[in-house]
Amino acid sequence: MALNNLSSDKIDLDTIQDESGDASDHGERVRGGGLWPFWTQIYAQGDPLPDLSCKVDRPEHDFDEGDELPEDYRTLLMKMLRHEGERAGNKSFLGLMGTCIEVAETLAPDPAARLLKSEYLAEELKHAIMFHRIAVGLDTDFALRDVPYAHYAFHLPKDTWADDAFFHFLVDLNGAFHARDWRESSYAPLRKVSRTVERDEFGHSEMGYHFLSAICAERRGLALAQALLPKWYAAALDMFGRSDSPNTPRFIQWGLKGVGNSEIRAAYKDYVDRKLVALGLDLPDERQGRRFL
Amino acid sequence: MSAILDEISAAYEPLGVVVEGVATYGTYYRLRCARCGAALGCVGDKLLPGMARELVDGEVDLYAAGLAGCACGFQAERAGSIDPARAAAAKVRFA
Repeated sequence: MALNNLSSDKIDLDTIQDESGDASDHGERVRGGGLWPFWTQIYAQGDPLPDLSCKVDRPEHDFDEGDELPEDYRTLLMKMLRHEGERAGNKSFLGLMGTCIEVAETLAPDPAARLLKSEYLAEELKHAIMFHRIAVGLDTDFALRDVPYAHYAFHLPKDTWADDAFFHFLVDLNGAFHARDWRESSYAPLRKVSRTVERDEFGHSEMGYHFLSAICAERRGLALAQALLPKWYAAALDMFGRSDSPNTPRFIQWGLKGVGNSEIRAAYKDYVDRKLVALGLDLPDERQGRRFL
Repeated sequence: MSAILDEISAAYEPLGVVVEGVATYGTYYRLRCARCGAALGCVGDKLLPGMARELVDGEVDLYAAGLAGCACGFQAERAGSIDPARAAAAKVRFA
């Protein structure tokens, strides 16, 4: 993308979306050894993620950038965006991205894997632009605020390549599920980016799964992954928050979420369990090591 | 250092892993081999209290078997000295 486009006040999200498209569609260079982006082949076979549309009666709301937002709505929207975190003005997000380069440099098995990680990083930085624009449209102070990721899943030690693979497979997939939930968001800017963010995050998860598949193809690697799985599995399930969160009904009533924490967690668990079993891994007890039930 | 960083450092110290100053902006720290200085990975400082020791203890076997830690072998040696029987069993388990 031309630098001029990136500096535009009204960045064209469709243009950014095209940037993540299948390079072969455009007759351009093959990226990531022909594997990138990982989502294209899977989405070509159909929708890989479960339906998360709202099944309860609720009022219709529709807000766009610049609209006067009800105070409660605004509070919840800001809370959601703080958790999302992928903003150019969020130094801690850029710090996390720095660790991605660091981990790839330290632990990746070969240059091809490092190249895939760089594609991942590029796409996350694209999200940083997209969410920066959304944040600016909402609150310029917030757009510049440093908000470290509060959840421990973003801070677990990564001291093996398998740790990094689990991080992407499970934590990026969490992002894909939440982005899918925004398809029906009452906040138009989120609704507009939802499909792009969903498929990108899904692709990042598939990248992690690709790495995990290679790791689990070897006996020692499979044993390593089995040993690390409880740590990442518990964290991944914890990322959806408490099942009895008092905020959930408010999020749903305002149209900022379609389903509650326990429903989205259950759908996510069904999905990852199938994928983990396919790798030859035994599933941990879903309550083992959990902090937020 | 913050209390949580002290806790993370204390958890890694017996394995011969140093938690270095900020690796990238803010909340992430580099793990280094205490013997040769090689980078081993990273960790963040928003772990919950008590979590660092639990996590590191849960991965001693991986260090003992050489599935984690430095190519120079320092962490495997340290894991072996902490609990020789456990380390020997780990080497068999992950052979």
